[in-house]
Amino acid sequence: MKVVATYNLKGGVGKTATAVNLAYVAAKEGNRVLVWDLDPQGAASFYFRVKPKVKGGAKALVRGKRELDDVVKGTDFENLDLVPADFSYRNLDLQLEHTKQPTRRLGQLLRPLRKDYDYLFLDCPPSISLASESVFEAADVLLVPLIPTTLSLRALNQLDRFLKTGGVRNPPKVVGFFSMVDRRKRLHRDVIDQVGRRRRVLKSLIPAATDIERMGPRRKPVGAFAPRSRSALAYRELWAEASGRF
Amino acid sequence: VGSVVRFRVREGTDPVRMLAGLEGRVHLEREPHRDVDRVVYETFDWRFLAADSILEHRRSGDEAHLVWWSLSSGEVLGQLPVDAVPSFVWHLPYAPVVDRLARVTEVRALMPLVALHTAFESRRLVDGEGKTLARLTLDRTTVDDGPALPAVLELTPVRGYASNADALATLLSAQVGLVPEQDDPVTLALRAVGFAPGSYSSKLRLALDPGATAYGAWITVLRALSAMMQANEAGLRADVDSEFLHDFRVAVRRTRSVLSDALNVFDPDVRSWARDEFRWIGQVTSPPRDADVFVLSMPDFEAALPAVRRGDLKQFQSFLEDYRAETHADLVSALDSDRSRMLFERWREVLDAPLPDLDRAPQAGAPAVEVAGAQIRRAHRRVIRAGRAINAGSHPEELHELRKGAKRLRYLLECFGSLYANDVVGPVVRELKGLQDVLGDYQDTHVQSEAIERFGQQMIERHGAAATTLLAMGSIVEHLDLRGREARDNFADRFQQFDGKEVRRSIDEIGRA
Repeated sequence: MKVVATYNLKGGVGKTATAVNLAYVAAKEGNRVLVWDLDPQGAASFYFRVKPKVKGGAKALVRGKRELDDVVKGTDFENLDLVPADFSYRNLDLQLEHTKQPTRRLGQLLRPLRKDYDYLFLDCPPSISLASESVFEAADVLLVPLIPTTLSLRALNQLDRFLKTGGVRNPPKVVGFFSMVDRRKRLHRDVIDQVGRRRRVLKSLIPAATDIERMGPRRKPVGAFAPRSRSALAYRELWAEASGRF
Repeated sequence: VGSVVRFRVREGTDPVRMLAGLEGRVHLEREPHRDVDRVVYETFDWRFLAADSILEHRRSGDEAHLVWWSLSSGEVLGQLPVDAVPSFVWHLPYAPVVDRLARVTEVRALMPLVALHTAFESRRLVDGEGKTLARLTLDRTTVDDGPALPAVLELTPVRGYASNADALATLLSAQVGLVPEQDDPVTLALRAVGFAPGSYSSKLRLALDPGATAYGAWITVLRALSAMMQANEAGLRADVDSEFLHDFRVAVRRTRSVLSDALNVFDPDVRSWARDEFRWIGQVTSPPRDADVFVLSMPDFEAALPAVRRGDLKQFQSFLEDYRAETHADLVSALDSDRSRMLFERWREVLDAPLPDLDRAPQAGAPAVEVAGAQIRRAHRRVIRAGRAINAGSHPEELHELRKGAKRLRYLLECFGSLYANDVVGPVVRELKGLQDVLGDYQDTHVQSEAIERFGQQMIERHGAAATTLLAMGSIVEHLDLRGREARDNFADRFQQFDGKEVRRSIDEIGRA
C-alpha cells in the first residue's frame, strides 16, 4: 500500500479536492483505495456523503481502543472507502502526545490496513504540528498543491528544509503540482514557466474551474458527475503523472 | 465487510416488477441497465476459487475490464481496463492489482472456462442524503451456447452499513418470489456446463481406509497418481504453463517411489516392469523441467547482477527459450511413442486388476497400516543413518543420496499419511520439508552451475556468444555457488532439527499403529 498525503501548510489550496478526485481516479483504474479524512472540518467526508463521526473519536483510535478497520465506511463508488473525519481530530496533537512514540503512531494504526488497499490518501489539515509530523513519518509521498505564486514556492522549500532537518526518520518524497491555475493571470503563467524545469513540480495543472466548485452541491468527485470535463481530465492526467513518480 | 446475500428468483416471478414493488417500500435508486459479455478465467488448479474469488473479463459497449471480485463479500477486489486477457498476469499492464493477482496465480496461466451473457439490473439502497448503503443486483445470465440460468438477486453490503443491508435482507426474505441461494451465478454457470469447481489440486487429497489391505491402499494411491498424470497431460502437451509438467512429473516420481516401497505387495514382475518404465518416463521429463526452472529463475538471476549488466543476459535468455522449446518437443515425441502408449495402456490394466496371487505378493493382503508403517520407519532410518554420516568433508554425492532418501520418505508420508493421525504425520512432514529445502537448494545450485557452464559452451559452439553474456553467466555461477555454500552451512542445523525427539516420537507412533 502506498500512502499519499495531500499536504500544504496553507489552507484553501485544493488539498481535499485533490485527495477526493485522485482517490476516485485511482479507484476507477481498479485499485483498492482508502481516504482518511484527517481534517476536523470533514470536507472529504462531506463530498463522499459520509457522516463526519467516528465512535470514540480521535482518542479511541490513537489509544488503540478502536481499530481503524472498524470505522472504515464504503463510499458510493466501488473500491473506494473512507475513514471519516471527526470533530475531535482538532485535538489529535494532544492525543498523540500521550503516546510513547507520537510521530510513529499514525503509521502503526495504518499497519492492519496495508493488505486491504493499494493506495491510502491522507487528507491533512493545514498545519505543522505533531499530527503532521506523524503524517510525514507514515506517508510515502507528500503531494503538495501549489497556487502559482512566489510565496507558495517558498512554502515548498520550507517544507523540504523541515523534512531534512526536522528529525523525520523516513521522510516522504515531496511532489508539488500547480492547483487552482488561472491561465488568464500573468503571475500564474510566469510562475509556472519559471519552475517548468524543476523535477519536483509536476507538469500537470489543475485549473481553477467551476466544475471543481460544483463538487460541493453535487457531493461527488468531479469525475463522477462531469467525467468529460476539463477538470476531470486534469485529475486523470495528474494521477497518471504522479503515480508514475511513486 | 459483511457477506453478500443471494436469492434465486422463483420461476413465474417477474423480478423487475418485484424490484419496482420494493421501490415503494425502501429508498432505492436505479442504476443504468447493463448487458455484459463475460468470460470467466481460472488457473487449472482453481486458485481464484481457493482465494474466495472469481476473475472474469467483462465487455459492455466499448468498455472491457478484467474484474476480480470476492465470492463471499461481493466486493470488487480490483479491476483493470484490458481488451484481451493474456495467459499470464505479469503480461498485464502494470498496476498494484497485478501484483495482487500474481500472488494468487504465481506461475500458473489464466485459462478461459466459460463464456456468459448477463443482463444486470442494479439498484442502490440510499439514505436521505443519497449515500449508498447497500447494492442490489439482479443477475440474469445465459451460458453461451448453453442454458439460461435462474435469475439471482444479490444484496451486497457496503462497508460500515451492515445494519442497513441486514434490514433489506429481512425484507427480501419475506418476498414469496425469492428463495435463498447458496451459490453465485458464476458457480451456477460452471456447474451447468459440467465443471466441478475445485476438482483439481496438485496436492494428493487421499483419505485411505485404515482398515484397507496393503494392496488396496497401494492401488488407491497409484490410481490417484495415474489420474493426476492424465489430468495434466493435455496442458503439458499444449505447454499452457510450467506446472502441468511439474505436476505430471511429480506424479510419475511418486508412482516410482511408491512402487519401490511395494516389495511383496505387487507381483515382482509387474513391479519391476512398472518401475523401469516410470523411471524412463521420469527421465524424459527431466530436461524440459530443468529448462522450466531456468526460465523461472531468470528474474532471480537478473537480480543477482548489477543493474547495468542485466541486459547482458538477453542472449542467454533466448538460448534458454530455444532450449526449452526443443526439450518440450522431445518430451511430446516421447509421450507419442509406442513405448509410452504401451506403458499407460498396460498400467491402466494393472490398476484395474484384482488382488495378485499371494504366493507372488505375500504382503498384498496384510493391513496397509502395518506395511506402510514399516516402509515409513525404514525410510526414516535410512535418512537418519545417511544424515548422521555427513560431516564437513562429505562429498556432494552423499548429500545428493540423502536428498533422494528424504524425498522417498516424503512421498510415503504424502501418499500413505492419511492412514495415520494428522498430528502424528504433520510434525514429520514439517521438519522433513525444512531439511529438503536445504538439500534441494544445495543440489539445485550445484546442478544449475554445471548446466550454465555447459550452456555457455553450447552457445559458443552454436552461434558464438558475446563476451559480456559469458561474463554475466559467470557472475550467476558465482551467485549460485554462494547460495549453495549457504545451504551447505545450514545443513547441520536443519538435520539436527529433523533428527529430534518430536519426529522420532511420531515415527514410533506410525510404527505402532
